[in-house]
Amino acid sequence: MGAFFLVPIAALLALSFTANGGAAVNYGRFLSQPVYLQVLQRTLLMGAATAAICVVLGYPVAYRLANASPRGRALLLAFILVPFWTNLLVRAYGWLVLLNPKGILNRYLVDWGLVSEPLSLVHNSTGALIGMVQIMLPYLILPLAATMMRVNPEALRAARSLGAQPLAVFVNVYFPLTLPAVMAGLMLVFTVSLGFFVIPAILGGTRDIFLAQLIEFNINQSLNWGFAGALSLMLVATTLALFWAGDRWFGLRAVWGVR
Amino acid sequence: MATSNWTRRRILKAGGAAALALGAPAIRAQSKGRVVFGTWGGTWEAAMRKAWFDPFTAKTGIEVVTASGNTYGKIQSMVEAGRPEWDMVEVQPDFQWIGAEKGLLEKINFSIVDKSPIMPGKDMVTEYSVPQVLFSRVMFYNTKMSPDAPKNWADVWDTKKYTGKRTFFTRSHGGVLEAALMADGVPTDKLYPLDIDRALKKLSEIKNHILWYDGLAQAEQYMTDGQAQLGLVADGRVLSAIGNKAPVAIQNNQSLLTWSTMVVLKGAQNREAAMKLLAYALSVEGQAAIAMAYTYGPVVPAAFKAIPPERASILSGGPQQQGRFVLLDAAWWGKNTEVATEKLNAWRVS
Repeated sequence: MGAFFLVPIAALLALSFTANGGAAVNYGRFLSQPVYLQVLQRTLLMGAATAAICVVLGYPVAYRLANASPRGRALLLAFILVPFWTNLLVRAYGWLVLLNPKGILNRYLVDWGLVSEPLSLVHNSTGALIGMVQIMLPYLILPLAATMMRVNPEALRAARSLGAQPLAVFVNVYFPLTLPAVMAGLMLVFTVSLGFFVIPAILGGTRDIFLAQLIEFNINQSLNWGFAGALSLMLVATTLALFWAGDRWFGLRAVWGVR
Repeated sequence: MATSNWTRRRILKAGGAAALALGAPAIRAQSKGRVVFGTWGGTWEAAMRKAWFDPFTAKTGIEVVTASGNTYGKIQSMVEAGRPEWDMVEVQPDFQWIGAEKGLLEKINFSIVDKSPIMPGKDMVTEYSVPQVLFSRVMFYNTKMSPDAPKNWADVWDTKKYTGKRTFFTRSHGGVLEAALMADGVPTDKLYPLDIDRALKKLSEIKNHILWYDGLAQAEQYMTDGQAQLGLVADGRVLSAIGNKAPVAIQNNQSLLTWSTMVVLKGAQNREAAMKLLAYALSVEGQAAIAMAYTYGPVVPAAFKAIPPERASILSGGPQQQGRFVLLDAAWWGKNTEVATEKLNAWRVS
């Protein structure tokens, strides 16, 4: 783990202090050019939005998966995993074909009179979000369903026998028992979403630039590894600071069950 | 812990053995040397194999081994680690400066590589690089959606006449800034050094009419399904779309002619063999063969004599383009890609 993961990352981050003019030039550029903070902000916001949408869409699916018959579960898993295993570019182009203003979906919507003008579903932040949510959903659903399958049915039965209505059982017993997995999934989806660059580039619009795209440019195009290191460190530091704040103010650690 | 380490070590050993077994056929001893070429892969590599590698091996006995995943970042890490696995790579011309400045390139041995037949053009040949093939970034338009053909970039900026979307490459060096300046009336011989701010100001006029493409497959999709009415795309992709019956046509006026470059990596283990392959690729027969195998133009004008006229008239540098193109200033881009990208990104998020 140390050799294969931490050492190369530490080496890249260290370059931000030594290479291409050193820390003053690399971090000075990050802070003095507004574009970098704007891109960082957009990266974080889109990551957070992706995570939130994944929870809303993924929770019922995970519930269905956890409580399905073996055959139903196998079928549901196939629906979740086949796209999961499909190449990222193929999925992005698939969305492009489906959702573009002249695409299949918009043609039907207009033909059936549901909308008067085609909806703008790609080439903007909506498109980027659709693509990211689709890719990230399994990361939320699968661990959450595993947790839901371990929820003790006795606890639910006890609550009901004590007179709780189904909704009250869900709100007071079931949901709190699954909350650690929801939070873990939220964090996982948020963190992984920060690294997207192909999806926003293909499905996003003029404004949809993510920090990972800038890192990639500096690594592979301009060979400014010092600045790439600075961009990476700013992303890592902001993410850690957000987790720290989340723990400080919302007690994430307690929700996760870490003491 | 001890158990998991043991397992990991065993897995690594097994993996290493498998890698050796897979690599073994490539290291055949009977050939008269080999050269490892980091390519862009795909159908382009297949064309090079047919036009260059196989005839070269037949003639010299030197085997050409290809490797994919060619990015500047990988080249730098490979050279800096010492004894690069690849001997030569194909790159955009900006790398002949970026790579030379970082000490990643070997000088070309011009006693093996004859540069005299190469077309005259600013910076096409440098101490560290030779051109590979010509390509262009050209204006295309949808023939069904457009009332008539746009004549120049100013027409492309006319959103009243052409109401559809315009598509441009997301990368700053993909020609969008040059197109904006020409639309703004900058004469083609005064384009460089590019006035980036002026270009972005002109680009603001059509900001809501732009579809960005991040790859050429995406550009072809936009041309084929009519999502884009006009735009600036590499000529090979427009020709491919036309070949697939997309209703688009090329306008050669104010096209941007450029080229791809071949370089030899510093510390290359098969430097001599790499120079010989460069010499073959730049021979008249090699250049004519590649222009027949793929829709790129030859960098050796004499090769056009060996190409049938109907083929020549679709290739970059062919008769249809004469007097109607601007040569992209690769040296300016070698120095300014970073600042231009920063400004284009700032413009995009503003």
